[in-house]
Amino acid sequence: MTDYGEKGGEDFLGEAQEIVESFSRSLLGIDSAFKKGRTDPELVNEAFRAIHTLKGLAGIFSAVELGQLAHKLEDLLGEVRLGRTVLGPELLDVLFAAIDVMQGFIGASKSGDTPRDEAALAAISAAIDGVIRGGAKTSNEDYGVDPAIWSVLTEYEEHRLRTNLAAGLSLYRVRSQFDLMTIDQEIEALKDRARQLGEVITYLPTGEVTDRDVLELDLILATGVPEAEVQAALSNPARQIMKIPTVSRGAMQPAAPVTGTPLSAALAPESVGTRPVASDLHFERPGTRVEMKASVRAVRVDIRKLDYLMNGLGEMAILKSSLEALAVRIRANIDSKARRDLARLLHAFDRRLGDMQEGILEMRMVPLSQVFDRLARGVRQTSRELSRDVRLVVTGAETEIDKLLVEELGDPLLHMLRNAIDHGIEALDERARVQKPQTGTIALNAYQKGNHVVIEVEDDGRGIDTARLVQKAVELGSLSTSEADQLSHGEALALMFLPGLSTKSGITELSGRGVGMDVVKTNISRIGGVIDVHSELGIGTKITITLPVTLAIVRALLVRVGSQVFAVPFASVAEVLILETRPRIVEGKEVLSLRGTTLALCRLSQLLRIEGNPSSGKKFVVVAQVGERRLGLVVDEIFGQKDVVIKALGRSLAKVKGFSGATEFDDQRVGLVLDVAAIVEEVWSSTESRTKALSYG
Amino acid sequence: MAKLALQTIEEESRRDEGNEFLSFSLAGESYAVPLASVLEIVVPPPLTEVPRAPKAILGVASVRGRLLTVVDLRVVLGVEGESPPNKGRLLLGRGPEDELMAARVDEVDQVLRLPDDQVEQVALGLGADSTEVVRGIGRPGHSSSIVLLDLGAALSRGTR
Repeated sequence: MTDYGEKGGEDFLGEAQEIVESFSRSLLGIDSAFKKGRTDPELVNEAFRAIHTLKGLAGIFSAVELGQLAHKLEDLLGEVRLGRTVLGPELLDVLFAAIDVMQGFIGASKSGDTPRDEAALAAISAAIDGVIRGGAKTSNEDYGVDPAIWSVLTEYEEHRLRTNLAAGLSLYRVRSQFDLMTIDQEIEALKDRARQLGEVITYLPTGEVTDRDVLELDLILATGVPEAEVQAALSNPARQIMKIPTVSRGAMQPAAPVTGTPLSAALAPESVGTRPVASDLHFERPGTRVEMKASVRAVRVDIRKLDYLMNGLGEMAILKSSLEALAVRIRANIDSKARRDLARLLHAFDRRLGDMQEGILEMRMVPLSQVFDRLARGVRQTSRELSRDVRLVVTGAETEIDKLLVEELGDPLLHMLRNAIDHGIEALDERARVQKPQTGTIALNAYQKGNHVVIEVEDDGRGIDTARLVQKAVELGSLSTSEADQLSHGEALALMFLPGLSTKSGITELSGRGVGMDVVKTNISRIGGVIDVHSELGIGTKITITLPVTLAIVRALLVRVGSQVFAVPFASVAEVLILETRPRIVEGKEVLSLRGTTLALCRLSQLLRIEGNPSSGKKFVVVAQVGERRLGLVVDEIFGQKDVVIKALGRSLAKVKGFSGATEFDDQRVGLVLDVAAIVEEVWSSTESRTKALSYG
Repeated sequence: MAKLALQTIEEESRRDEGNEFLSFSLAGESYAVPLASVLEIVVPPPLTEVPRAPKAILGVASVRGRLLTVVDLRVVLGVEGESPPNKGRLLLGRGPEDELMAARVDEVDQVLRLPDDQVEQVALGLGADSTEVVRGIGRPGHSSSIVLLDLGAALSRGTR
């Protein structure tokens, strides 16, 4: 039964991780609103709720340090919610630092280490206390609002109401009747509408309707939208909308008479007495209910279990092919009805199998926001450390990609973003001199393109100085002077991926921290991706990563080279040609003219050193496209396409380049899957290949 | 009666586990590896060559859905001579980093029990290159001798 306990622990860590990530998302939202001079109370609430949930979770699993930190954070956010502590850059810094500490706790529990949690806890607790102390006074201004209203508000609602009134907004009461059967959805719908106009301060039952199936609620809305628009937006036969008189601070009027009536009466045009409806209706506060729903619908599954299922499906696909082969063999011996039935069954089986494969693949897909949120935090931290004014604009975070890929993407992308801030975006005075806006912009864009996901990191910084890059490469001996003279702009830029090349003299703490772009490139290639760079001096740099959507099952083209059959992932095949004309030779390399562009050719039999059967007949060219690069792979025969389950080759073959894995064909034979990205890379980077510049773009 | 005999055999095998070797032939020579290091003996499934792999790697094969790298022991040991075609067996064992791999041999012979006094530790003069793969020389019975190999080391060597 210890197994169970362990499992519970794993689930806890997974859930804690998710909560911390959602907390981090809320913080980023708060941070960006704050930079625009706003405070978004809804986000503060979200952050508060996330921490509250985490505190409870930590309690259940006796994660003491995490629980204590969550408790402290809850206190701090509680103060912020009530306006007792003012949101500021230091406070945000402390909150972001707390995320790192919490992740440290979670990471340590995962690996089973017990590091000095207490020291980290003490440090962050002290920081939290430091920012709480700078508390702000609470005003008692009542803005001429009926004290009966004030009297029923919670402390938080009171703070929100005061904040809105201080901003000069108007107050409305929206009275609606709801059918008890549908009240949950209808209230949510009304709140959604109202939120588009302003902030919902509170909503409470009036207790005036005697029909047991109907509940009447007053919703109090603070908004700056003109009354007519409020009426138009919320108007409904079952609703009354009234403006609540208020007095702005500037023209203080005598307060409305103190009546002492309860809220419902004070708000009602003609009061009919009250009864405590809320208590016997189990009236729920918003938020909690929504979260519970979400957590019930999702199931957390170990990715290895999905892999296991995937392998099982792969084997079923093999069985299916055997069945089909058998069906062909016995076809002659059975009557036409049995033949039809057999064909129908096989077809149905095929379809179901396809559905299941798709279903499992979809389970592996997660939105890129999982990694983008973490990156946004890294950007914030780096820009503060380097005192750069940087704005990160993210698009396409909802783009989905294989979970395994997402995990491999974090570090390379973070490094690229840090580079963009450190080496790309200029310091303030330099930006002023070249008349760029003070705030540097880094765009992180993602989108799907066929079977690929494209991720771009683009900055409006100083761009890459290729002359210095080339000079550095020559100094390092990676390039001869004569070679250097012949480099195209694109080739010169590609030098940044050479090991040991960093253009900025004087290594900062950040870039000195670890990896260079060569490691980034290796990591990206390992998951089947390709990097392209575009840069213009003084204008900016754009680095594009093109990745396969998933690694597990791919549609592939089966080709023969010599006596071997290879699978070429369809995603990297642009088109297939018959090699009819003799290729031209340009600088010792075979090329083909293809609709006005020049296509470099690579004979796979030569590249892979496959002997035998050079077959006299015609040859085929598989035009591979990876990122912006095209390469014609010359093969002997094309067999058509097939869905293949890719299995990793053993580590013992890690040094052999050109194959991303292998797949099992129907006859138990193993076929290698070409790593097209690696092959294109190999051909391009082979030094004697001068033709590559020709097919660029 | 049969049951009793079986029990005796089991007991015996347990007692001698440390000294049990699996002998096999390769290009006409006899070799043996510790029986405990052989996880399974299988008839080779169709083999797929891996272009540009080290010479000692014959290729990859799928054994019940698992993809294995197959090492040619002849290349590892540097022995000349032809292996009979369409024969042979794969010995499955653990290679570097605990990877499940296979070594191809010509023919599996038998299980040998070698008491300590019939095992000579590795002798000098066999060539420094093979010291880690060759564990010693076994002298079963009277005259014949057999080279004792370390399967894991042989598999590791094959991937270099």
